[in-house]
Amino acid sequence: MIDMNKTLGIGSKKARLIGVILLLILAFTLPLIFGMNLYLLTVLILMVIFIIYASSWNFLTYTGQGSLGHAAFFGLGGYASAIVATASGLSPFITIFIGGGMAALVGLFIGIICVRLKEWFLAMVTFGFAIIIQTLMVSQFAEISGGWDGIAAPRLVPSSIPNYQLIEYYSIVLIAVFVILLFYFILKSKIGLAFAAIRENEIEARAAGINPVKYRLFAFLVSAYFSGVAGALEIHNLGYITPEIFGVDISFWPIIYSISGGLGTLAGPIVGTIFITIIWDGLQSFGLTYLRFVIIGLLLVLIIIFLPKGLISLPDKIKGYLEKRQKKAQ
Amino acid sequence: MVVSSDLIIQVMIWGLYAGCIYILLATGLNLIFGVMKIVNFAHGELLMLGAYITFTFYAVSGFNPYVLLAASLPVLILVGVIIERTCFRPILGTGKLNEIFISIGLIYIIQNAAAIIWSDEWRTIHSPFEHITLKMFGVNLPLDYLIIVITTISILIVLFLFMQRTRLGKAMRATSQNRKGAMLMGINVERMDMLAFGIGAGLAGAAGTLWVVSGQVFNPYMGSIPAVKAFAIVIIGGLGSIPGAIIGGLIYGIAENFAILTLGGAWKDAISFIILILVLIVRPTGIFGESAE
Amino acid sequence: MKRTLGLIFIVFISLVLIAGCTDEQPSGEELKIGVVASMTGSASTTGKDIWQSAELAADEINANGGVYVAELGKKIPIRLVQGDDESTREGGQKAVSRMITQDNVDILVGGFSSAVVSAHQQIVAEHKVPYIITGASTPIITRRTDVDTTYMFHHAPTCDDSGSQITLFLDDTVRPAINEKFNFPAERPLRLAILYQDSPYGKGHQDAIKNTIANNSLSIQIVAEEAFKMGESDYRTVLTSIKNKNPDVIYVTAFLNEQIPVETQALRDIGLNKVFTAVEPNDDPDFYKGVGTYGDYSIVQSRFSPYTVPKGPTEAAYNKFVTDFDNKYGGFPGMMGVATYEGVYIAAKAVEDAGTLNKTAVRDALATIRMQQMVENMQNQTISFSPDYRESKFELTMEQLYWDESVKETRPKIVWPESLKETSFVLPEWYEPGQD
Repeated sequence: MIDMNKTLGIGSKKARLIGVILLLILAFTLPLIFGMNLYLLTVLILMVIFIIYASSWNFLTYTGQGSLGHAAFFGLGGYASAIVATASGLSPFITIFIGGGMAALVGLFIGIICVRLKEWFLAMVTFGFAIIIQTLMVSQFAEISGGWDGIAAPRLVPSSIPNYQLIEYYSIVLIAVFVILLFYFILKSKIGLAFAAIRENEIEARAAGINPVKYRLFAFLVSAYFSGVAGALEIHNLGYITPEIFGVDISFWPIIYSISGGLGTLAGPIVGTIFITIIWDGLQSFGLTYLRFVIIGLLLVLIIIFLPKGLISLPDKIKGYLEKRQKKAQ
Repeated sequence: MVVSSDLIIQVMIWGLYAGCIYILLATGLNLIFGVMKIVNFAHGELLMLGAYITFTFYAVSGFNPYVLLAASLPVLILVGVIIERTCFRPILGTGKLNEIFISIGLIYIIQNAAAIIWSDEWRTIHSPFEHITLKMFGVNLPLDYLIIVITTISILIVLFLFMQRTRLGKAMRATSQNRKGAMLMGINVERMDMLAFGIGAGLAGAAGTLWVVSGQVFNPYMGSIPAVKAFAIVIIGGLGSIPGAIIGGLIYGIAENFAILTLGGAWKDAISFIILILVLIVRPTGIFGESAE
Repeated sequence: MKRTLGLIFIVFISLVLIAGCTDEQPSGEELKIGVVASMTGSASTTGKDIWQSAELAADEINANGGVYVAELGKKIPIRLVQGDDESTREGGQKAVSRMITQDNVDILVGGFSSAVVSAHQQIVAEHKVPYIITGASTPIITRRTDVDTTYMFHHAPTCDDSGSQITLFLDDTVRPAINEKFNFPAERPLRLAILYQDSPYGKGHQDAIKNTIANNSLSIQIVAEEAFKMGESDYRTVLTSIKNKNPDVIYVTAFLNEQIPVETQALRDIGLNKVFTAVEPNDDPDFYKGVGTYGDYSIVQSRFSPYTVPKGPTEAAYNKFVTDFDNKYGGFPGMMGVATYEGVYIAAKAVEDAGTLNKTAVRDALATIRMQQMVENMQNQTISFSPDYRESKFELTMEQLYWDESVKETRPKIVWPESLKETSFVLPEWYEPGQD
């Protein structure tokens, strides 16, 4: 039986709702509490962008597909949005969705190839596509992409507006809320049920009349689209895009975030991104360099072995452990 | 551009050399997959460790690095066994995605641990034979090159004999063909897992050593790209098929070099994946198609 | 219910800690210099050099009491703040924004990767913090039109600079040498092959070569252009391709881990008995160690060498810097190190000239600064920033490497320009010119 609660998050419905509301309140009030702190806003903005990105990557895993090359979509969204915004003068708020469209278009092409493939094949092919797309961007498409030099991108909110960084932050939070809500409704719908059926037993799903290819492709499109939106948001925040955006590190971060938080859950990528970002920046202030990566790697390995459902399952696990001890004592 | 037969022979020979490294990597991967049915994405880091361990022995003793290979192999086998026991055994059967992701964690750990231990400066090992070249087939063949090819062939022969003639080897083959059946026959499959991983790691370490002794400059990040190519080869040649790995490795090495000749060096990495993708479009389970389960 | 609240609470507290614990009040009693260095990630070998060289400079200046600020009527010490850009764009953005707002730095010095720098330039421009960029070979960073780059000063040669110098050297020194030795007519053009890294660095040089040839009507013919991926280790096929085109000289744009296999494989395996040129990052002890005999007679373009120094005004400063660095940290600081070392001194001088820590005044002082060259040779023996794009102009040298039996490695000697050369360029006995 498919457990929708497990799919969507932790705990009871009421608990989840309160948790979400608290998180939102936190998200909105944090910058106000600490004043117009540029550093905090920079970290938060990048974090929320990666929440969108990680959630989009994670969305794909609902159909059992683990991509190792999502940087392709992240970067394509960035490039498309930057190019359209610079050429047309449209506000980035519009062009980020066009950027997402570009990513989805390429995602369609990649998806058609990938959806029939087994896990490692999919992993390798997606990894390869990130490399191919980067190579294309610097060679065949160098004219429009600026090649290795890259191109500039206009800011999301022009710096002439007072408190523009704060507005930028709130806009991105709103977009994140919108995206997560969208995922929530998709997963709650029949489509979500189909995802779960495909993931758990493809043969049975097929027998039940569900076409895995169609749903996998759909997941691919949605995942690519919003990864592209996230990429576009990052580029308009930084102000410049270069081909390094297609790098392996950009492909691997959403994986790390999602697994730490909890693969295949809606809350997982959110919790994971926040948690890892805090650890990452926190460790940096201790002056650790390579050790940081070792720690992150260890964390990943330990979570996969001992806490496969991610950090969000930690409270449940502790509770279960305590209950067992209580029972033993009785 | 005039393509003379001389040129073609030369490019094929360079391809053969690259092929040796890929063959060793791919064979190791296939061994692990055959027995454990998992893919170790961190295989490139084992190649890197092999290079560094040989380098350490060399820096300390100054012996001929080819000879030191015999010393670093056991170390790598041990490392492989440890990784298998601590990381992969606990997650065996919990899903393919977990295997992929745990490998990513391992990549971060091993790469950066190496950077801490050995620093990430560029290193070189100068082979004692580096100046000796032989004129064969119209090219200057460095002696190192011949030694690498011969060493690779020797290792493969030893592996072949092990798998075919020894009891352990046969037990491993039995496990890879039918795990449940092997268990029923009394084979300790968990020990087979360890052995397979260990040997696979050893092969990767050998690949790393041979690669750097031939004059490559290396650092902790050297393993990623060859490993990725090895995966592509394994997928194309057929998961679990060792002959497929050998032929695939050779073809890959040669094809890559021809791609450079025709498309230019910037496409070298991309071309590997394009070939892979084309193959998978035509045959989604690889050429010699062993399906996953 | 409780669990979820607990989780949220933990997150909240952690964020408070992060934001709070690194908060700093501006003191005004120190010159805070933020050093942008890649302490981790793919560029981390440079990061250490950058940070340590900055420390060395700051310690020296502080040992003399510090930097005199007229407005305060006294000398104040320099305090360095480390900003690890992690060799990534996001890392650079976070590090720089932290240094600007949390640490309240007065000036930024550093930067290595062009991609990383271009990603955080916007924040620097918006906050009007003077930024002495001592890395990033692309000229674009001070030429961007979408951000205000008037606060950005480029104290590093661009690809245009080094590329043009190498090309000019090839035309005025190497070409005549070849034509003379083989009795070719004096107008015979140089046959040049370009082997470039597929990156902004490599492409930058490729463009610079072509522009220099065109702008100066040089007698150089480009017979081959081959690219390779960064980190490549096997060049035999591209070199075979190049060999087919019969060049006289092969211009290589590569880092030392690539340059070493290029020259080794070319000479040993392919039999490409030509002159090879290398760009300045290769002037590093690891290169000499790695390339062995195969570097004999090759060319390295340089501005800071571990094994030679132009005789003259910079010699003493060079010896002092290199010795002090080795004593304190062990090893060779590299060109990123020396640029940063000078960068800190430039920052100090600008503040003195401005007489205040006010960033705009310091920016103006930087724009018009005239400093005596320090360790690296500058054009007109002066450190100053060009009026159009705020680039400082270096006096780049070309070195030729000769095998030194006593150390069992090659060693460089400056062969160009005339004003700084130690010896004349020679073609090796085994050299074979290209032919049509």
